[in-house]
Amino acid sequence: MSRDNILLKIDDLKLYYHTTAGYVRAVDGVSLNVAVGERLGLVGESGCGKTTLMKAILRLLPANCRQMGGEMYYKGKAISSLSEKEIKKMRWQEISMIPQSAMNALDPVYRIGAQIKEAMKTHQKGISSKEIQERAANIFELVGINPKRLRDYPHQFSGGMKQRAAIAMALVLDPNLIIADEPTTALDVIVQAQILERINALQQRYSGSLIMITHDISVIAQTCEKVAVMYAGKIMEYGKVRDVLNNPLHPYTLGLKNAFPSLLGEKKSLISIPGSPPDLIKPQPGCLFAPRCPFAIAVCQTEDPPAKEEDGRIVACHRLAEMEGLKVLAEDETIWERKVHAGD
Amino acid sequence: MKFSTKLFGFIKKDTAGAIGICIFIFFVIVALFAPLISPYDPGAMHFDETGALMRIHPPSFQHLFGTTWMGRDVFSQVVMGTRIALFVGILSAVCVVFIGTNIGLIAGYYGGRIDNIIMRIVDIIYGIPFLPFALILVAVMGPGISNIIIAIILITWRNTARVIRAQVLTIKQRAYVEAARISGASNFRIMYKHIAPNVIPLSLVYIALSMGTGIMTEASLSFLGYGAPEVPSWGKILFECYNSQAMFIAWWWMIPPGIAITLLVLSGFLVGRSYEEVANPRLRER
Amino acid sequence: MKSLSKYIAKRLLQMVITLFVLSTLIFLLFRLVPGDPVSMYLDAGMSAEAKEMLMKQFGLDKPLWEQYVIFISNLLKGEFGISFQYGKQALAVIGDSFWNTLILMAVSLFIAFTIGIVGGAILAWKRGTRLELAGIIGVLTIRCAPVFWLGMILLSFFAFRYQLLPLGGMNTPGTNFETVYAKYFNLDFLKHLILPAITAGLSAAATPLLVMRTSMLEVIKEDFIELTKAKGLSDREILFKHALRNALLPVVTVFAVQAGLAIGGVVLVETVFRWPGMGRGIVLAVAARDYPVAQAAFFLIGAMTIMFNLIADILYAFLDPRVSLD
Repeated sequence: MSRDNILLKIDDLKLYYHTTAGYVRAVDGVSLNVAVGERLGLVGESGCGKTTLMKAILRLLPANCRQMGGEMYYKGKAISSLSEKEIKKMRWQEISMIPQSAMNALDPVYRIGAQIKEAMKTHQKGISSKEIQERAANIFELVGINPKRLRDYPHQFSGGMKQRAAIAMALVLDPNLIIADEPTTALDVIVQAQILERINALQQRYSGSLIMITHDISVIAQTCEKVAVMYAGKIMEYGKVRDVLNNPLHPYTLGLKNAFPSLLGEKKSLISIPGSPPDLIKPQPGCLFAPRCPFAIAVCQTEDPPAKEEDGRIVACHRLAEMEGLKVLAEDETIWERKVHAGD
Repeated sequence: MKFSTKLFGFIKKDTAGAIGICIFIFFVIVALFAPLISPYDPGAMHFDETGALMRIHPPSFQHLFGTTWMGRDVFSQVVMGTRIALFVGILSAVCVVFIGTNIGLIAGYYGGRIDNIIMRIVDIIYGIPFLPFALILVAVMGPGISNIIIAIILITWRNTARVIRAQVLTIKQRAYVEAARISGASNFRIMYKHIAPNVIPLSLVYIALSMGTGIMTEASLSFLGYGAPEVPSWGKILFECYNSQAMFIAWWWMIPPGIAITLLVLSGFLVGRSYEEVANPRLRER
Repeated sequence: MKSLSKYIAKRLLQMVITLFVLSTLIFLLFRLVPGDPVSMYLDAGMSAEAKEMLMKQFGLDKPLWEQYVIFISNLLKGEFGISFQYGKQALAVIGDSFWNTLILMAVSLFIAFTIGIVGGAILAWKRGTRLELAGIIGVLTIRCAPVFWLGMILLSFFAFRYQLLPLGGMNTPGTNFETVYAKYFNLDFLKHLILPAITAGLSAAATPLLVMRTSMLEVIKEDFIELTKAKGLSDREILFKHALRNALLPVVTVFAVQAGLAIGGVVLVETVFRWPGMGRGIVLAVAARDYPVAQAAFFLIGAMTIMFNLIADILYAFLDPRVSLD
């Protein structure tokens, strides 16, 4: 992978929320690269910092969230060094987003068409209103909505249609990077499938990069090439989707995979990971996943596991070498339960 | 126990509510000891050494807030006026909220036709201009405290009724109300034993808020010349001040009663609002 | 648009019903008077013939329900009786004062909502600053101060002490106007309007301001505001085009209630500033026991309140596309 090929580079980024109780380490030392045209999935439980990380790219974080270390580079330029004017220009034109819940992401008092056109009017001054209208109509057709419905208000759309409208809006300026933040979670299963299909179909036409944030590992499997598994503000595992899902090398990925129905059609009972994410204000020493990890040993409690890289695959686990054996143990659902009882 | 901790819990964390309570207690103390605090009879006319009437004399040690056009002591009038303000404010608030709560309970609990009729009436009452109505009622029935209170009650129960009804509608859905109904409790029992205790905190909010309305209405009617004839009230002091045309000179006559009204109304508002957050955080005044 | 006219028609019907209830209320209210109800319409100074005529017109010798029917049918004709003071039809006595009140009311509501909307938005934007605290304290104090007292203070300050503005009334006495327009469209009228309108406006500004602030604080937390920001819009566009527009909706609801309250304030303000409107008219009529004029003024004030309610409803329907218009 050549250097210039990298569109977005995140380097040891630390984002802490300042609260009265202390700093919440939402993102704590994350490093990631997104190449031009690459589709990266970011998976993790809610509260693991994935949304914070993505908002940081557009500098949309609230004032109480501070960048405590590291940096993000877009096309080689440090994002934190951009002026207000530059970042505003970059938003949507270069990087757009598909919001978490399109239900609330469209302004209820304006027509959907007006909201899509607003993006064009803001960034492409001097463009004729005829062309704006044409492009809005085109993009609506692309996502499978009748262009006549550009004149509708958000409340006249169903949930799935709103989500498609939000996708249309993200695509309208043909950005280099789209961040999709849980684009399907608010929808029912059938609509979810339709939206994912739509995203897949659009990928034929859209050549830019995509970051897909989700807690649902199966969504990643359908849409992405690379995946980063995030837990408690850190990257646990990173690699090609096929490799990571077929051959997980981190206990957390194992657990996460158990929590969702297999895409390959194997019939297995679902096992969710018992326990809850750790306190991010005063994190315990050692691996943050250790309290929930059935394979945690003494060193896990004391030392932060280093991220080891091999063939573009990154894993942060002390027991990486023994993983083949542990994987067999993880098939047994009771091992996850036992851990919790032992913890009691 | 839970109720009382809830009731006073806000004082600890809410400064505005605490300030409101302090102001209110201050006025209650002034009202209770009014005859002891006020140095003179509010109706007495004062003369200087030469025997001349002390018309609009500025504040002095003898007359803390100065004197009126008729040589009366403003301080004594304001102190004595506290009594009537609190009396009208509290009595009208309690009556308004009592009536409003019951109507709201009935409308919310029975729903359907009864609810529809009651809410239509509420809508219509919202369309009646309050002060002109009170003015005519008091003018026609004769000035007096009781008529002023009646006028206030006739109109302002709508606010409480509407909010309580909305609250009852949600409480009605709760499982224990359903359980009481299945176990054969009478409507009356469900309404007053099971639902009412849950809306009382909200009623208390409206007592605090209605107190301000009552005081303001009494002051306004008095200012228009329809106050109770014999009693000194803040509105009446301002009425006399305005009519004497001395207000441009005698700021000491005009300012104190106005501040008294403002503070007392403000105290009700502050207490009501901060307690409202305890009683029902999602609620907003319409 | 078709549904909008249907919506307005429905609201108009509701307005008629409310007016009907209001007139019934007036009928009952004025018959509460202790003693002879005939005294409501008959003045001691009237000639025997005039008395006879009025007795007949209002059926004062008939039973109550018949009187009610006669009262309503007279009302439909715009007849409230003959003014005791002026010997003219009550409506003729009120005459221009309807417009005087309407102008004062409209201007003061405009002031109130401009202060409320702009001030509320600023306070929400400046959340957690000293400005916010000072703003809230100031606004609450004015809200809780009696409006007539506020008027007295402004009057002694700006009209008496600094003599910037007239002491009261609507036009400098002695001026004659050839047309209706000349009466309202001149600098003198404007000067007379400023103080009463500001008094009533300030007093009514608190509620919309507080509602606007809360509403604004809620709106800026919404997802769509963040998305608008992500779209690269400027802060100004986000604030005015999206946040403000959405935050306005609850404020419009307040408008309906506020209009009903503001008319009470206007009665007091008109009295303080001797503004020749219906509010002052009703006070004077009641004081002079001129009941026909008081009835007519009360009816018109009620009608005005209901009309402002209607305006608020229609405005809301325009601003919020989600309102179902049927």
